Amino acid sequence: MTGKFHVAFSIALGVLCNIALCQESHCHLKIDGTIRDLENNLPVSYVNISIEEVSRIVSSDSSGRYHFDNLCPGNYTLHYQRIGFVTGTLSITLNEDQTSDIEILFDPGLFKSVDIVAYKYEERTATIESSLIGKDLAATQGVSLGEGLKKITGITSLNTGSGISKPVIHGLHSNRILILNNGVRQEGQQWGSEHAPEIDPFIAGKLTVIKGASTVRYGADAIAGVILVEPKGFPKNPGITSEVNAVGMSNGLQGMVSAVAEGTSQKISGLSGRVQGTLKRSGNVSSPRYYLKNTGSEECNYSFSAAYSEKRIGIEIFYSQFNTRIGIFSASHIGNLTDLQRALTAEVPLEQAGFSYTIDKPYQMIEHELFKTEVNFHARENGRFSLVYARQYNLRNEYDKHKALNDSIASLNLPELHLEITTHTIDLTWEQKNRVPFQSQLGVTGMKQGNTYEGRFFIPNFLNEGIGAFGISKWQKDKLQVEAGARYELRHLQIYRYKQNALLMPEHIYNNLSGSVGATYKLNENLALTANAASAWRPPQASELYSNGLHHGAAAVEIGDEDLLPEKAWCFIGSLNYQGNQNSLEVSPYFNYIRDFINLTPQLPPTLTIRGAFPTFYYKQVNASFKGIDVSFSLSIFEYLQIKTRTSILRAVNETTHEYLIQMPADKYETTLEHKWKDRKHIRETFLSATLLYTNKQWRVPADSDFASPPQAYTLLSVNVSTQLHIGKQVIELGMTISNLLNTTYRDYMNRFRYYTDDMGRNISIRIKIPMVLYLPKTNESEHQKNQP
Amino acid sequence: MTILTFITGHFLLSCKRDDDKPQKPQLPSNDMEVITTMTLTFTDISGMQPLTTATFRDPDGDGGNPPTEFDTIFLQHNTTYNTSIVLLDETKIPADTISNEVFDESADHLFCFTTSGTDIEIVRTDTDGIYEVGLQSEWAVGLAGNGTVQVTLRHQPGIKDGTCAPGETDVEVSFKTVIQ
Repeated sequence: MTGKFHVAFSIALGVLCNIALCQESHCHLKIDGTIRDLENNLPVSYVNISIEEVSRIVSSDSSGRYHFDNLCPGNYTLHYQRIGFVTGTLSITLNEDQTSDIEILFDPGLFKSVDIVAYKYEERTATIESSLIGKDLAATQGVSLGEGLKKITGITSLNTGSGISKPVIHGLHSNRILILNNGVRQEGQQWGSEHAPEIDPFIAGKLTVIKGASTVRYGADAIAGVILVEPKGFPKNPGITSEVNAVGMSNGLQGMVSAVAEGTSQKISGLSGRVQGTLKRSGNVSSPRYYLKNTGSEECNYSFSAAYSEKRIGIEIFYSQFNTRIGIFSASHIGNLTDLQRALTAEVPLEQAGFSYTIDKPYQMIEHELFKTEVNFHARENGRFSLVYARQYNLRNEYDKHKALNDSIASLNLPELHLEITTHTIDLTWEQKNRVPFQSQLGVTGMKQGNTYEGRFFIPNFLNEGIGAFGISKWQKDKLQVEAGARYELRHLQIYRYKQNALLMPEHIYNNLSGSVGATYKLNENLALTANAASAWRPPQASELYSNGLHHGAAAVEIGDEDLLPEKAWCFIGSLNYQGNQNSLEVSPYFNYIRDFINLTPQLPPTLTIRGAFPTFYYKQVNASFKGIDVSFSLSIFEYLQIKTRTSILRAVNETTHEYLIQMPADKYETTLEHKWKDRKHIRETFLSATLLYTNKQWRVPADSDFASPPQAYTLLSVNVSTQLHIGKQVIELGMTISNLLNTTYRDYMNRFRYYTDDMGRNISIRIKIPMVLYLPKTNESEHQKNQP
Repeated sequence: MTILTFITGHFLLSCKRDDDKPQKPQLPSNDMEVITTMTLTFTDISGMQPLTTATFRDPDGDGGNPPTEFDTIFLQHNTTYNTSIVLLDETKIPADTISNEVFDESADHLFCFTTSGTDIEIVRTDTDGIYEVGLQSEWAVGLAGNGTVQVTLRHQPGIKDGTCAPGETDVEVSFKTVIQ
């Protein structure tokens, strides 16, 4: 295993060095300088300096220095920004190496809440993370959060048909990863493999995945990683702007429109607001050969937020609501194993349909509501307190295919599965300001969660309470940054359940100390090495403790175990990251060992029901190891042609039985050829790319634990075009993606509907984005000028 | 404006809900339909043999506790029986006779019988107007022997064609069968 990594490493490095040597000779100019605080002339670190024309970004180091090299002669616009400082712009005409020192103005009034969230995250050190932003994020518009995140190397998805997609990080999903929506832990019924995250991806201005255990900073459960869904910051200048996004898709005749309006008040300094909404509708999607009956969906989401900040205090409120109704492919709802066997051997699905927008039974109806309020207090000399309270309400109704035979019951039209979960979280964090080599963050968190069910029993009613305290300290000297942290967390789970009409109230208490240590060493401006070791834990979920029944989607009886212990994980992850002017390489090997990994294990005898015998699975604890590597690199072949590749390889082993673990993503290799056209006056940022994705067959599965053997390997071709039209002051962004261009028939191992149907066929999606200025007050030139040094 | 009203209304409604009170859990709901019991009643056409029954009973539905009753069918060789099927939901008090609903929706349902190792010829004797149903059937028992008879209820809404293939399975019980 390590041998293979070694070879891949050496090859990649070799290729990179060759490319670096071949770069054009006249593009070797430098811009550097030092950034200082205008008030006290001290150097300021962590200022992000970006060059608009070449889309490059660097941060100033501990002595305030920044540095760009390998630049061609020309005109450049430098933007510099750091939270708590006034943002500015600098124009440079570059003919020879140039030193430009920048003075930056401290302004606590700019501590807008959303920015502060960003500020907090930018402080992360020694984590291995990737983001989707800008053009790459735009290219995912129209697909769900889980599908969009697959653009990040190492991220796959667990699908239930085409409509339900859960992100998978390094083979782990559901309760083993955390999603932070706007800084709040997303709490729904995420334990279920057919329960997708209840988040409108249009909320996000940036999607970030932190790979590896991150329990210390974000709390229990984050064994495999964390997904951050971060909205854009509020506009800095007074006025009201808006943006309309529309997407149309050929497969499923899907249409969606999302709009946002945001503004900053001129009268009340520091007051900003935003309203956002998304509507989406899809009909039956189709595989290359047939339509999939009852696979339509509809979605209606909206959110609004407001922020106010003055010298020392920032306040933000945020509310969002996510509503969806998703049809479940009719032929996947089976009565018993005989039906499943018939479905497995059928050439085409046993139920056929044409195109329709109608959503029939079976379907899911989900609603998720998030209310968040955040208060920040900025103690100028020392640091900052932040207090975040959030309430989430999640409703999940699942309707079976079959309506009740008894008319009076059928007329109630009640969902067969009805779950409601309400979660309150509160976080108090203290962050020390980072003008010294040591920087620390301390926090306490509290959580209270209530779950109730009606209808069919799947998980019991419960009350889940937790408290935690953590501290993270960072030390930085020259090129080395070291971060270490620890967290203690206590969970109390009170179960309420009936056994033969008698109320039982078992209690579970779990607690754990987790720790992490990581370091980043910047060899030079382009090359950084990062290593991170962390311990993490996850208390067992109510579903793992108390499930006892037939899982209709899985045609299996799942039985929980009250005596399960928490999972304990040790995660080691490293990365070599080279970010050159035109080329980049990231190699990230990882090893994750989980003791008492909770695994559904088949066991005889099968469970006898009135619909026949079903295989029976017990939640059991084993030791498991996950080792793998993510590699991505991009090379400029010619001036406007880039080749990008992404590889992810994972080996997941049940160390107790020395077998492979079930339901792990197969190896994937992806190559993209991207051409960028030269910007013209009216047409800019024009890209054409073709992507070839090869997914291997998952050969590594345990024996006799699945209804069907894993599907064959497949290769998909997709094409993406995007451009920006500049007409006067108006910008219009246009994009088109054709996925599965060749209409390849395939099934994916990580799609639970692979038993019943081929995956989606060709899909042409067209998207348009129109930003608009709705209201612009008469600009106060002097105010504006102040931002320009 | 309509959208705005909708959104505001929605918001006000949503904020009232607060269902985090699991301290007072309700008893399991009674609004679910569960087929718990199937009883086959055999009547000798000639009136020679006594009436016999065979029952499968799983009072708590799928999973949970195992079935409490799972009879073997005992039949006499060289005898023809009229067989009727009763399905019950015994989670309700009084028990709900699901087979009456099957009868009402007989155009969407079909019972199928599969014998193995036993010499029985089974013919459905009732009809939905076009196709057979199978709540009533005639079992012509031949030679003595041991085997199984599998009784399957297929739900075929709008797709019934007289064969067992379409639709999905509502009930499937494989009775041990002894022909004396």
